[in-house]
Amino acid sequence: MSQNANEVVRELLTAGRMNDVVMLLRKLDLPTAAEVLAKAPYEDQRAIFRALPIDLAAAIVSRFPYYHEYVLLHSRPTKEIRAIIDTIDPTERMRFLDELPEEAWQRLMDELSGTTIEAPIQSDVARVSEAAGLRPAKSAEYIIEARDIEKQFQQPDGRQIQVIAPLDIYVESDAIIALLGPSGSGKSTLLRILSGLAQASAGTVLWHGKPLADAHPNVAIVFQSFALFPWLTVLENVEAPLIARGEQHKARHRRALHALSSVGLRGFENAYPKELSGGMKQRVGFARALAVEPEVLFMDEPFSALDVLTAENLRGELLELWQKRLIPTKTIFLVTHNIEEAVLLADRVIVLSTHPARIRADFRIPLVQPRDRKSAEFLVYVDYIYKVMTQPALELAPPGKVDRRTKPRYQMLPHARPGGMAGLLEFLNERGGKEDLYHLAEDLLMEVDDLFPIVEEAVLLGFATSKEGDVEITREGKAFAEAEIEARKKVFRDAILTHVPLMQQIRTALDRKSDGAVPLEFFRDVLDEHFSRGEVEAQIETVLNWGRYAELFVYDPENDRLLRRDSPVLHDLEHPGVPSE
Amino acid sequence: MTQRITSPTTPWGLLPRRTWSVLTDVPIFAAGLALFYSILVLARYWASPFSPEVHISNSPAALPGYALYSLLRIVVAYFLSLIFTLVYGYIAAYNSKAERFMIPLLDILQSIPVLSFLPGVMLAMVSMFPRHQFGIELGAILLIFTGQVWNMTFSFYSSLKSIPAEMHEAARIYRFTDWQRFTQMELPYAALGLIWNSMMSVAGGWFFLMACEMFVLGSRDFRLPGLGSYLQTAASAGDTHAILWGLVAMVGVIVLLDQLVWRPVIVWAQKFKFEQVESAEAPRSPILTLLRRSKALRLLNQRITRPLGERTALYFARRATSVGAAPDPKIRIWILRAIGVVTAIGILLALVDAVRLLGQLTRPDFQALGLGVGATFLRVFCALAIAVAWTVPVGVKIGFNPRLARIAQPLAQIAASVPATALFPVVLLVLIRVGGGLGVGSIVLLLLGTQWYVLFNVIAGAMAIPTDLKEATDIFRFGQREKWQKLILPGIFPYLVTGLVTAAGGAWNASIVAEYFHLNGQTISTVGLGATISHATDSGNFTLLLAATILMAGVVVTVNRTLWRPMYRLAETRFRLEG
Repeated sequence: MSQNANEVVRELLTAGRMNDVVMLLRKLDLPTAAEVLAKAPYEDQRAIFRALPIDLAAAIVSRFPYYHEYVLLHSRPTKEIRAIIDTIDPTERMRFLDELPEEAWQRLMDELSGTTIEAPIQSDVARVSEAAGLRPAKSAEYIIEARDIEKQFQQPDGRQIQVIAPLDIYVESDAIIALLGPSGSGKSTLLRILSGLAQASAGTVLWHGKPLADAHPNVAIVFQSFALFPWLTVLENVEAPLIARGEQHKARHRRALHALSSVGLRGFENAYPKELSGGMKQRVGFARALAVEPEVLFMDEPFSALDVLTAENLRGELLELWQKRLIPTKTIFLVTHNIEEAVLLADRVIVLSTHPARIRADFRIPLVQPRDRKSAEFLVYVDYIYKVMTQPALELAPPGKVDRRTKPRYQMLPHARPGGMAGLLEFLNERGGKEDLYHLAEDLLMEVDDLFPIVEEAVLLGFATSKEGDVEITREGKAFAEAEIEARKKVFRDAILTHVPLMQQIRTALDRKSDGAVPLEFFRDVLDEHFSRGEVEAQIETVLNWGRYAELFVYDPENDRLLRRDSPVLHDLEHPGVPSE
Repeated sequence: MTQRITSPTTPWGLLPRRTWSVLTDVPIFAAGLALFYSILVLARYWASPFSPEVHISNSPAALPGYALYSLLRIVVAYFLSLIFTLVYGYIAAYNSKAERFMIPLLDILQSIPVLSFLPGVMLAMVSMFPRHQFGIELGAILLIFTGQVWNMTFSFYSSLKSIPAEMHEAARIYRFTDWQRFTQMELPYAALGLIWNSMMSVAGGWFFLMACEMFVLGSRDFRLPGLGSYLQTAASAGDTHAILWGLVAMVGVIVLLDQLVWRPVIVWAQKFKFEQVESAEAPRSPILTLLRRSKALRLLNQRITRPLGERTALYFARRATSVGAAPDPKIRIWILRAIGVVTAIGILLALVDAVRLLGQLTRPDFQALGLGVGATFLRVFCALAIAVAWTVPVGVKIGFNPRLARIAQPLAQIAASVPATALFPVVLLVLIRVGGGLGVGSIVLLLLGTQWYVLFNVIAGAMAIPTDLKEATDIFRFGQREKWQKLILPGIFPYLVTGLVTAAGGAWNASIVAEYFHLNGQTISTVGLGATISHATDSGNFTLLLAATILMAGVVVTVNRTLWRPMYRLAETRFRLEG
């Protein structure tokens, strides 16, 4: 039903009959009207929203998620925003204001109280249509479509580790798509499956409707560590894929030079990679990718290995190339663990969860380029992503696609040290005990990969709670932060014995033995049942770090075993030849 | 005095037009001509019938010719090794099923002392070509091949396996042709390792060549004209004049080889170093500069090599893009199966025959074997102990003192490059004059061949100890003993183990020629496994020969697994310098 409605809306809009659109929306019931509006292209959405009368606007907009609601609201002048918000149902209004991050909320309040000047907002209709004229209408067909794909890895002992749970993903044309996830979430594997480098364990991947394996997709990848051949010059590196396609010397030379010009490396053709800086090396990587004129440009964390300023510079140049249509690529598929980068660049963001990888969220960012990092709208999206990523692992996949093989999960310790957590708790304590996650990340200059494990550790041990993208310190956490080192260790010890079953097991095992020594191999075997080989080692390392900090046991590396603190064996080790009391 | 060449990594087409015209081209042409002529001469010589009494001249005038013969044998064996390496290493690296047995096989083959094959291979080759000198030449070349090939193959295989995944992925996503992958990714990545191992292999090749250019087998006297036989003849005759000339020629050939071949190749190969940042110190070679500046070579490159490379690359690209029918996999499987079955049957037959032969061993044979193993083991142990005793202090001293290193290293390298087996006859003479039996004297011989491995590794290990650790011991006023115990010995441990492993292998090998010797028509020998092998070869007792060879191989492999492997693991875990 709404399919037809969308078509009708489109026709009406092209004919310029906005009033008829409004009348149509009024006739539909609210859920359907909201759906119709959501499915329309963004330029149209804002145009329609501006034309809606206040009551209808209030009713429809409160059905949208808060970040979308915020952006839509700001397509109207402040007076009207005030009116709409007053008209919205009080419960909905409360929900909306609650969910907003601080900056956005603050700005909204300022606007409503009249203390801000009406500054042009990024989702301004005029600018939207101006920018829209530079890019053609989206085509409905997907370039890459992946259905029910899974990936498992075989362990040496024959067990299977599920890296990617069955999921669907599609890559449409004319967009920058960002795939977000913490390290080890399988996003790089997903990229390799979509680009044809790796095979999925199950499911199908289609390229323009045909199986990927049969098609010869024209794609390119820009790698995190550049993947340049050190013994070839810059020009030879860029020409290499062209030689593979059998291009003659003159033609490929010209093409390679053109690609190098567009990334600004003309003049460096005969340099070797080892003479170049990191940023320049990645430009060569880009030039090589662009030289083959790929239909889809895949990028695997392309800016992670660069310093902040160079990365910023390259991002800007990439955007410029994309927007000015200087590259023939139809879609850019970017894999990253940097939330700000995703919001800065992408038209569409897909957020993955880990162990195994599932799609947590898949939404569009309608903000127009260039995007201002400090603007409220930007922060709305950043905050939303933090919220999504710290959601407890609920069943996020649509019903019917549940992975039936999941067992109740064995507790996996986050890879974080007590020292890091102590620092976080002290910081939180100073700040009054509660803070937005994205603020924390910004102030501590930490990325998701570094911050999340520490937060997880604090939450696991009951020193903090994490909800809706906020971290709040608990009473125990406050005690920990304010205590001295010895007292801290006691608090820590109590916490791990309460909340980490494995630690309790270790303590019981150590108590039971007369010599107070337990080989670590025993616990490795326990963990082996639930984790891959590499993860087992990481878990053991974490256990050792925490246990030693808590002074729960001593580790004897020579014999790879844990010792009780008052174990006679320990005494012999430390004081050989001296009889114990 | 020190002038830096402009970055040795600039490609051909960009060098300045400045050339020295004809003067640079003449020596290059001359070298090419000489190479071509010597191949002609050799071809003529090999076809001549077997002359059982090859006369090895004593006069120094014959030396250039002999040197050339020896050199050519090494070169041919090297190229055979290279081809084998590329094929074997490639298959083992990319075919996981083959890998599972190819690599352990390589490991075992590497542990078998090469010289124990000497009699067998020689006899086999001679019986295949009884009328021509070619048989012995082939035998010598094959023997050198078995000494050279294993470490090169290992190096190539491990290089292929350690290519970073992203390079592979880049090659796949950009659809590199097989040729492109090989010439632009795999070969360059393996280049440095191959080159260093080639240098080691060729040095090892000299060692074996000297031993097998002249030896007696029962009633037959095999001789090949070359430096080894020259030195042995001179030593037998006691002609010190000739001996000295021979040694000079030996050192000369090795130095020439180093300067004309290895140095330029190493400098050229710096561009294959897989580093992300240019290192400050680049090695240089005047010969390479000469070659680079030569106008003739540049023309050759532009007119012939470059277009040829381009055509080959495009040819493969065209083949890849055109759709072709894949070869029938079923036929391939059946062919492989057939080969497998035939090989298995062949191995089985050989094993049965061998066991039958072994069944003929007598009691005194077992006694000789048992005593021999013990004696040689003791000797190898003593040689290693003495080597460690002097190389560790000296090596550490040199390694800690860069100025000393700059003087001492080239000297040590020259001393080390002279193959010990060439010196054996000379040293033996001295030992006989001095008195004392071969029992102790052979330890000296073993030492000669193996101490250099240990020395160089200790120097490298001492250089690798980071300065801040040394400074820490100074600040905290460590005593000498503590310094050695806590810093130096653990620091050089991994390198020492590497050196010892190579030295031990070399010592077992050398024992075959060190414990049993023909001199002036006399036979000097001592109790030992090497002597048993040589004696059995002499008297044609193939049963004993087989048993002794198997025993020696078995001992080396066992020691490898039980002693060296755990030490390697200890070096990897406990004594690694970085975290």
